[in-house]
Amino acid sequence: MLQPIYNWIDERIDLKTLQAKLLNEPMAGGARYAYVFGSVLLFVFAMQVVTGILLMFYYAPTADHAWASTKYIMEHVDYGWFLLSYHLWGSSAMIAVVLMHMSQVYLWGAYKKPREMVWLAGLVLFLLVMGFGFTGYLLPWDQRSYWATTIGVEIVDKVPVIGDFLGRFLRGGPVPGALTLSRFFVIHVMILPLSLMAIAGAHIFFFRKAGPAGPFKASKQELETKMEYFFPTQVWKDIVAMAVVFVIICALAIRWPHELIDEASPVASDLNPEPEWYFMFLFQLLRDPALSFLFSGEWGEFLGAIVLPSVFLLLLVALPFIDRSPERNIFKRPLALSSWLVVMISIAILTIRAYQFRE
Amino acid sequence: MQPKIKAKVACTDREVGEVIRVIVDPLSKEISHLVIASGGRELMVPADGNLSVATDQLIRLNCSSDALARYAPFRRADFISIHEVEIPHLERHLDVMPGEVLVPLPELEKNLSRRSFFTKFTNVIGAALALPLVFPVVKYLIKPMYQPFDNDWLKLGKVSQANQIDMPRLVKFEKTVHEGYLERKYEKSHWVLKASPELRKKIAAEPSEQAFRDSSGKVIWENDPESDVVVFSGKCTHLGCAYRWRKHRRFGQAFICPCHLSVFDLSGKVLDGPAPRPLDQLPMRVSGSGEIEIIDMEFKAGKAEQVRIV
Repeated sequence: MLQPIYNWIDERIDLKTLQAKLLNEPMAGGARYAYVFGSVLLFVFAMQVVTGILLMFYYAPTADHAWASTKYIMEHVDYGWFLLSYHLWGSSAMIAVVLMHMSQVYLWGAYKKPREMVWLAGLVLFLLVMGFGFTGYLLPWDQRSYWATTIGVEIVDKVPVIGDFLGRFLRGGPVPGALTLSRFFVIHVMILPLSLMAIAGAHIFFFRKAGPAGPFKASKQELETKMEYFFPTQVWKDIVAMAVVFVIICALAIRWPHELIDEASPVASDLNPEPEWYFMFLFQLLRDPALSFLFSGEWGEFLGAIVLPSVFLLLLVALPFIDRSPERNIFKRPLALSSWLVVMISIAILTIRAYQFRE
Repeated sequence: MQPKIKAKVACTDREVGEVIRVIVDPLSKEISHLVIASGGRELMVPADGNLSVATDQLIRLNCSSDALARYAPFRRADFISIHEVEIPHLERHLDVMPGEVLVPLPELEKNLSRRSFFTKFTNVIGAALALPLVFPVVKYLIKPMYQPFDNDWLKLGKVSQANQIDMPRLVKFEKTVHEGYLERKYEKSHWVLKASPELRKKIAAEPSEQAFRDSSGKVIWENDPESDVVVFSGKCTHLGCAYRWRKHRRFGQAFICPCHLSVFDLSGKVLDGPAPRPLDQLPMRVSGSGEIEIIDMEFKAGKAEQVRIV
């Protein structure tokens, strides 16, 4: 039944060749579960787009209705609680898988020549994903949203010279309010998704041009004899991984659905304002008593929340240009391995301390 | 040199046929085999030491024509064409085609100046379309960012309600704001404190600003240093969270910000945490009817000096 339609289209746009080109990508050393992260990210993002669009059917991005419309989605629309909770857990999954993907590329030495551009586009994508998390957090317009945004934008405000302008630009005024919500909404649902799609396209294009890096230790002969094309084995492994991630996100959304708390208000309350878990280390950095000699006072936030992450990011940008040795085996790159461990352990310690040191 | 398709193949004794296909290794991108048509059969000959490219039209095999039989027959179904696979930069490694395949430039485009004229003017017209939009778009986006200050006095309740000395009281009040198209009422809160003379002295010792200015920098109000009522802005001076009056492990009862754990004492002084300046006092007066009135100013958080933003 479908074959004649397929043939009709193929005759006009050469579909078969296109399909073959997309699927027949040689993978040195063969398909592996280690390579699923990129595809899983694409899947998680696609689901964020789908659930995000569905949420917009009822969500109203104005300060006087945002909270009420979110509450309506949570409490009255059939399966609204599930879609919203999926979207929230999906955002966490996005960050978690990005971290795994980046770590893997780093440990596998896959950022090295000729894959520098893949790495650089990936870093931009990482920033976009963090931007999604930050802007999306405000949209329910509850207390958690309001305070996380207040703090987050205040930190932007601390950049010398242009900080005040940037802060006002993000808020649409001197303090968070109705126009902040409009701005975060348009950034979250238009600017970031379009940018992400464009840059993810470039990322995948660069990747296909450079070819996959393959395993970091294997003889040339092993690479050749175990060579497989992307389809069907890797596609199969990818889809299995996607299914696993999907089931995990669903389970989390069902077991721990989103809790919408009181509507946003600048009045002092019992709430301990906190960002999402992936910003907690940065949050703790600014308040940790052990680090207060560095990160308190007038320049503390700027140093801790802007200079430090920017320097780290610049190091990541410079990485493929600093580390020019072709050696990819992580066990023969002691500096690379130890710096990865230091960063991960510091983030883990700060995150744990953030949950311990609540008021 | 790479063998060309259609090149003749010669064994040590005689010419045996011609190259009809080339097989490439997808990883190394090197030619791994040649497919040779010889006497009605198609054979796969490895591109190893036995094979040498004499000219791009002639391949020599280091074996006799009788030995050709030991090469495996070619099976088309075991391979796919390079048009059906995406091998990065394959074209840079391969030069096996019978030569370049070309299409002509249109007659009109052969004139170079015409081409560069169009390229340049495409850019010029593009810029002419985009540049006039920059200013209006920037103005459009920054419209709400800089608002004039609101210097109205708001009522915070009777001074007689703050009857406990040296015990801060969170006072909530409703504020109406105009945000773009929206007129919105919401609750805010500040801390009202009736201070004992000793505390009053401590408060006066803090470097907290007592003169308040409008947008032009003109002083519009100075708090009475003798007043026993003080109003602290509800915003923490670190990053603007709403702090609370709580018991602290080390400092006893204190103002504690739940965000980054800055601690302030009753006089507004920073005891601990990252806050860069003492709590902000608000311009305050007591009306004839005993009502506390304030100007609901806000100041930039995270700065050592007080900068008014609302």
